Amino acid sequence: MNVTPTAIAGLGMTELGRVYGRTPAQFALEAVTRAAADAGLTLDDIDGLLVNPGVNNDTDLRLQSTLQLRDLRLLSTVQGFGSSAIQMVQYASMAISAGMADVVACVYADAPLKEGKGSGAAYAGGGRALSGVESLPAAAGLKSAPARYAVAARRHMETYGTTSEQLGAIAVAARAWAAMNPLAQMREPITLEDHQNSRMIADPLRLLDCCLVSNGAIAVIVTSAERAADLAQPPVHVWGWGQSHPGYANHRGSDFGLVSGAAQSGPAALKMAGVTVDDIDIREIYDCFTYTTLITLEDYGFCAKGEGGEFVASGALAPGGSHPTNTGGGELSSYYMWGMTPLSEAVIQARGQGGQRQVAKNDLIMVSGNGGVLDFHATLIVSPHARTA
Amino acid sequence: MSLTPVVRDEYSAPFFDGAARGELMLRYSPSSGAWSPPEARVCATSRAADLEWRAASGEGALVSWTVIPGRSRGGRPAADTVVGIVETAEGPWLTLRIVNAEEVAPAAGAAVRVEFVRPEGGESVPVARLVAGS
Repeated sequence: MNVTPTAIAGLGMTELGRVYGRTPAQFALEAVTRAAADAGLTLDDIDGLLVNPGVNNDTDLRLQSTLQLRDLRLLSTVQGFGSSAIQMVQYASMAISAGMADVVACVYADAPLKEGKGSGAAYAGGGRALSGVESLPAAAGLKSAPARYAVAARRHMETYGTTSEQLGAIAVAARAWAAMNPLAQMREPITLEDHQNSRMIADPLRLLDCCLVSNGAIAVIVTSAERAADLAQPPVHVWGWGQSHPGYANHRGSDFGLVSGAAQSGPAALKMAGVTVDDIDIREIYDCFTYTTLITLEDYGFCAKGEGGEFVASGALAPGGSHPTNTGGGELSSYYMWGMTPLSEAVIQARGQGGQRQVAKNDLIMVSGNGGVLDFHATLIVSPHARTA
Repeated sequence: MSLTPVVRDEYSAPFFDGAARGELMLRYSPSSGAWSPPEARVCATSRAADLEWRAASGEGALVSWTVIPGRSRGGRPAADTVVGIVETAEGPWLTLRIVNAEEVAPAAGAAVRVEFVRPEGGESVPVARLVAGS
């Protein structure tokens, strides 16, 4: 594919988690400012801005005004939910390749958590009257994200024999990585027994199968690889990308719960990068739930379809394992910033800035984004090395 | 076993009229001969625009499900909520409350029969009853 090579040159993260009293726009302002400074740039260098609003859709194009950015050549919101972060890097790269913009800031910001209220309330949707046939699932009681993913996970279990203990191995591995991440919210190691004893949220998903809903913002700066080479941080080169949005048929023969968009998005990204799944050193997988990690790893081809349970139970994902995965603790143990969680950790690992948790071999990193209930998927492959033709 | 009430809109009126009669209404395309789920605006198989409401058999099989534990309030235990995807005999999937999971254990492929309940303040809606011994 003939595209101008691009790179992620800056990363900006606010305080993440139970951080109250700030609006998404205030978080976004801080994240973009930090990302620009991280790259050795100023806000005046930014000529493109892509904004991924969170679950409440309350961050928008007014962010240009908040940041006092003048004469932008690219400005848009991107809403692919958990796949948005990677989508933004893709669109930024294409805009740069087309000569439309030179320095594009991509930001996710949200503040769904309210003081004194639980994570469930943050994503509950709240109080809308139910109307029409589209409301039948909610009327039946399928309202929360954990419940909707639980139905998907249960289908995988019934079809392939995947077990709760195997899902637990994913949570245990993520926490082991988080223990080495100063930014992680949950750093106390857990055991499989802890997982099995954690309260049931929506069977088969337990509390420790679920991500940590968080307030905050993360931004990245995308520019040409050529320009990135002269900036403050080691460039994180973009090698390949893909998207796939299955549009599951609500009908006999549907793959819902069994195969995700990763099955098409992953191979597309690998093909663009000119590598195979066996070349990947580190996986940063969107892990809103443990099950999401499992199905994504299967669909990317790190193990055969249906064998994800055995694969993760082998310890492959954990520190010291054969397939280092979610090396910052992921959304399960670190922070839930939608697709910016795996993307930010990929940038840190590619730069070699992972400190105690840095994976020695970091030549190729595969990053996933997932939105809806497996409805939207995006993949990115990055590397500390410029891609040779 | 309280379901959240649903009100009708113009599109869904035939569905809820059918539910009030005890009939499960799905979408059917005469040109393709294929059934689609209630929310379909075009045929899920052929994309044809000639969908019409047609009564289905009310028979189906469980595809998957979740059990959401009840939260006890004021010392009173609350019942679990069991919700699942039902594949109707005609093919379309419906997400339905399962009303007798404490009597018949849910399992993939288990036979279900669609029934109807009418929550206060809303239309009649379909629910699923697991068939014992299926």
